[in-house]
Amino acid sequence: MATLLVSLFIRCAHAVPFEDVQVLLGRYCVDCHAGDDAESGIAIDTYTASHARTIDRENWRRILRQVQGRAMPPDDAEQPTDEERELIAQWILDDALKVDCAGPERPGRVTIRRLNRHEYDNTIRDLFGVDLQLAQTFPSDDVGYGFDNIGDVLSVSPVLFERYVDAADEIVRTIIASTDVEAAPRRQFEGKRFPTRGQVTRDFTLEDAGKYVLRVRAWGDQAGNQACFMLVGLDGKPLRKELVRNDRNQPTDFEVALDLKKGEHQLGVAFLNDFYLKSGPQGKKLDRNLNVDSIELIGPLGVLPESLPEFHTRFFQPPIDPAATVTKQTEAIKKLLNPLASRAFRRRATVTEVESLGRIFSLARRNGETVERSTQLAVAALLVSPSFLFRMEMDPDPGDVRDLNDFELATRLSYFLWSSMPDDELFGAAARGELHTEEQLVQQARRMLKDDRVEALVENFAGQWLQLRGLEEVSPSRKKFPTFDDQLREAMLRETELFFRTIVSDNRSILDFLDADYTYVNDRLAKHYGISGVSGPEFKRVSLEGGRRGGLLGQASILTVTSDPTRTSPVKRGKWILENLFDAPPPEAPPDVPQLADGDSTQLTGSLREQMEKHRADPACASCHKMMDPLGFGLENYDAIGAWRDRDGTVEIDATGELPSGQTFDGPHELRRLLLQRQDDFRRCLSEKMLTFALGRGLEYYDACAVERIVNRLQSDDDRFAIVVEEIIKSPAFRQRESGESQ
Amino acid sequence: MRNQLSRRTVLRGAGVSIALPLLEAMAPVSVQAATGYGRKKEPLRMAFVYAPNGIHMTNWTPQEEGSGYKLPPTLEPLRELQSDFSILSGLAQYHANANGDGGGDHARAMATFLTGAQARKTNGVDIKAGVSVDQIAAAAAGRRTRFASLEIGAEGGKTSGSCDSGYSCAYSSTISWKSENQPVPKEKDPRLIFERLFEGTRAGESKQMRANRLKFSRSILDFALDDAKRLEQVVGQADKRKLDEYLTSVRELEQRVQRKSQDESTSTKKMTKPDGIPDSYRDHLRLLADLLVMAFQVDATRISTLVFANEGSNRSYDFIGVPEGHHSLSHHRNDPEKQEKIKKINRFHTEQLAYLLKRLKSIQEGDKSILDRTMLVYGGCIGDGNRHDHNRLPILLAGGGDGRLNPGRHVQYPSKTPLMNLYASMLDRFGVQDNMHGDATGMLENI
Repeated sequence: MATLLVSLFIRCAHAVPFEDVQVLLGRYCVDCHAGDDAESGIAIDTYTASHARTIDRENWRRILRQVQGRAMPPDDAEQPTDEERELIAQWILDDALKVDCAGPERPGRVTIRRLNRHEYDNTIRDLFGVDLQLAQTFPSDDVGYGFDNIGDVLSVSPVLFERYVDAADEIVRTIIASTDVEAAPRRQFEGKRFPTRGQVTRDFTLEDAGKYVLRVRAWGDQAGNQACFMLVGLDGKPLRKELVRNDRNQPTDFEVALDLKKGEHQLGVAFLNDFYLKSGPQGKKLDRNLNVDSIELIGPLGVLPESLPEFHTRFFQPPIDPAATVTKQTEAIKKLLNPLASRAFRRRATVTEVESLGRIFSLARRNGETVERSTQLAVAALLVSPSFLFRMEMDPDPGDVRDLNDFELATRLSYFLWSSMPDDELFGAAARGELHTEEQLVQQARRMLKDDRVEALVENFAGQWLQLRGLEEVSPSRKKFPTFDDQLREAMLRETELFFRTIVSDNRSILDFLDADYTYVNDRLAKHYGISGVSGPEFKRVSLEGGRRGGLLGQASILTVTSDPTRTSPVKRGKWILENLFDAPPPEAPPDVPQLADGDSTQLTGSLREQMEKHRADPACASCHKMMDPLGFGLENYDAIGAWRDRDGTVEIDATGELPSGQTFDGPHELRRLLLQRQDDFRRCLSEKMLTFALGRGLEYYDACAVERIVNRLQSDDDRFAIVVEEIIKSPAFRQRESGESQ
Repeated sequence: MRNQLSRRTVLRGAGVSIALPLLEAMAPVSVQAATGYGRKKEPLRMAFVYAPNGIHMTNWTPQEEGSGYKLPPTLEPLRELQSDFSILSGLAQYHANANGDGGGDHARAMATFLTGAQARKTNGVDIKAGVSVDQIAAAAAGRRTRFASLEIGAEGGKTSGSCDSGYSCAYSSTISWKSENQPVPKEKDPRLIFERLFEGTRAGESKQMRANRLKFSRSILDFALDDAKRLEQVVGQADKRKLDEYLTSVRELEQRVQRKSQDESTSTKKMTKPDGIPDSYRDHLRLLADLLVMAFQVDATRISTLVFANEGSNRSYDFIGVPEGHHSLSHHRNDPEKQEKIKKINRFHTEQLAYLLKRLKSIQEGDKSILDRTMLVYGGCIGDGNRHDHNRLPILLAGGGDGRLNPGRHVQYPSKTPLMNLYASMLDRFGVQDNMHGDATGMLENI
């Protein structure tokens, strides 16, 4: 879709008359695509000019894809020339798929979005004030349209749900202290097998006085007329004498409650009644043994006020009276759970929901659980429910459009800019109904862009837009690139993140992405770039001179992500530029034409170029490769991990190129100058990518109007970064929702 | 169903003072008997192991047919096991071809391998392939084990960017599809897989802690189910599908929790718990193989998929002297040097397969090994990687299928015989009635 949008605006040089197209369609397509039993249900013979615009856009889009992708007509049929294909494509784009921005704008429909892994972790952090990073154990989120926050592809698998349950359990145990034996700290001592009478002692030192539980797990080998007798003692005094059951599969836990002082202690376990007969009644050997599997000291039980988790103290305000009846306690806990549930659900919790949570609490209480443990369970229930895990938005009636309410807007805003839940200020504004005018939204966005949580926009939006996340997976050949290691990998990533963050926080021009005279390096990266005067692992802003680097295309992160393990890949770099800076991805390679084989480690750049040029001599490949390859050639001075080079082996680097427009350049500096001339394409590209990320859906044709508004304002307002954000949140697509079904 | 209702009544009833029983106690004996859970000691298993980017077929396809054929170089690591598998040549996956959808052979290959469906070309909205054969088997027979199926692999999904020619990344990283719209993500961390499969617990958690945790999971899940059901009434059509996925997942967990206590004893440690994902790719694959073997051994599941790498993976195989990216290499354009390197990669993968098969063979169950009671398909949905050939696929069928397979041969099928026919035959042997899927035309004879 993005391709179409771009093409829509850049191909408006001259109008193609439908009559011309009709002739071509008639000649190449109607043999099969005509009449009632037309192939694929596309009856081209019925398409007249007046009719064309009213038929389903999806059909024209399918036709466009077939024509551009050379998938149709089939090989054994007469083929249109490239010019003819181009003519058909242009008409479809300019005419059949034209967008009219004059009327009311369709907001589109976003499938409810499950929190992705990043959003889950951030939300838990902001909800409870603890950063547990539990989502790392979740299965990875699927990616659509280049981003992992797209509702349509975020699904819930059984494994994921299990992880939610586990995570919820761990979270509640962390944020609420429980006086449970099972939640208390424990120390383990080694057990012992007693073949004969004897005892074992274990020394330990306690830092805290308090209540403890000593737990000994043991089983016996039964023989003779007595069960095993075990004696448990402490500090030289016997505590308990026990009969030990004869079942190795079900060892028995013996527990002794203790009041212990701070300091050194010694515990002991003894086996009292050994029995051995070499030849018993049936001639069998009889041997009674005691097996102590483990010894555990659990405690101190209960948590001292000063070591309570911060959330615990904050949440139990006012504290629940331990002496009150369960009914009273339940009423009290509901009052505390209500605001928490509202924050977790990002809307006001309903009476029914709070009632249900209260029921979980009271059920646990009546089963003998503590107030804290019972509360833990209620909070865990919150955390595995869909109202928490999904960002719910209800559809309007079929065929209708509705404005999102203030809570929904707060949620869209916060997940867009922070990948997390709304903060108190956003919730407050939503609760007061002060979050639906353009001014109110923009004011909040400005505040949010200055907050540190905007780092999430860097990680998640920039990380995916620029494919920085791919950096984690690259594996440059150690032999060819011995300087590459994880520290360098880390530094590469950080440079681009800091660069992006600066543009966001300082509200700089987005054209900095294409060319800038500054960047961020630490000692490691400075050395990699050949920049002197930077020491230490901290990143510093440095100004760039001499034209070797500047903007994203001089950053090692991007240059490495677009390389093969052993060498650069001009094709991938070219493709990356077209896709991510100009949103003009080259048409797909036809299915049967193999991609250019990169990856030959022995290949020198010179001959690689020749090889690629030979490839481009094939007309089937040329149309796309002449778009991609020259851009990549212009970056050949950067090796596969982004270090500068003048030669590759013995061959002098040839970084010259000619764009399809006929413009020529030599080296990255000149290439950047030429790319800056395509700034409108870049503005559009960034706007489309960010709109996709903000909405969590692929763009539709009608989104072109919103994109155009952003581009216009960028042009008139110095390309400030915040403009993109502001125009997105002002757009109907962001503030409204249409129903998925037609009337 | 009736049982579920009565349980709810217990929990919701006015007399909340009724003791909340342990979940385990609530699974009625009749249910356990009906599903035969834990009864059959020596079950039949099914596994699918995927290798991406095609295989250099010259070094894969044997010259002769029948038994006693000379092993081609790529199959050599399987020498000791030659009587335990067959090479099935001539199978095709028609819907992996473009069929009018343009580029994207790698994405289609993965999404089609076990589904036989033409994946819908979309980057996200209305994602659609088909139900995969492992999930069909799991839906029909998975209730007998704690886990209906196991989906593991060395690579997760891609975390950003585009994957293949306008197909959502879900396509090129998933062979298991629970419904035509729901890809099942793979797990790649051996530690997490181990904990889930064999412990049902987390590090440092005692038996009591777990029991305590499970004790109230019913009421927690009920709250979640209520919420989901209420929401289902009010959300739009497409959103309902998302909530359905959610509900299915909750119910699966409910069922599992019910079955859990019974095979506590099966979690006898036969394997040391892995630390996480090892640095070495080889070690990683072996741990995954170990986990699969152990899952079969303790009957935690009978159905599994294992993906060596995602389709289109450009992983470097530096450790076997192939530093180049696999995908880039696979477009070898008949350069013998590149083909030689592809052979190395293919061979490396065969070695890992050999490791898996040997492990399965080493474990005896009564009179037979686990391998004898397994039907395992190894291969991929691309033959020659250079041309993205989906017509001559590298397919290896290993195991004795509990006497229902006749391994040890090279069988040549007529050109373009649907791969789905093989799956139909396997499902049939697995006792699944509904076995014709995708472009299947009938049972595959002579396996």
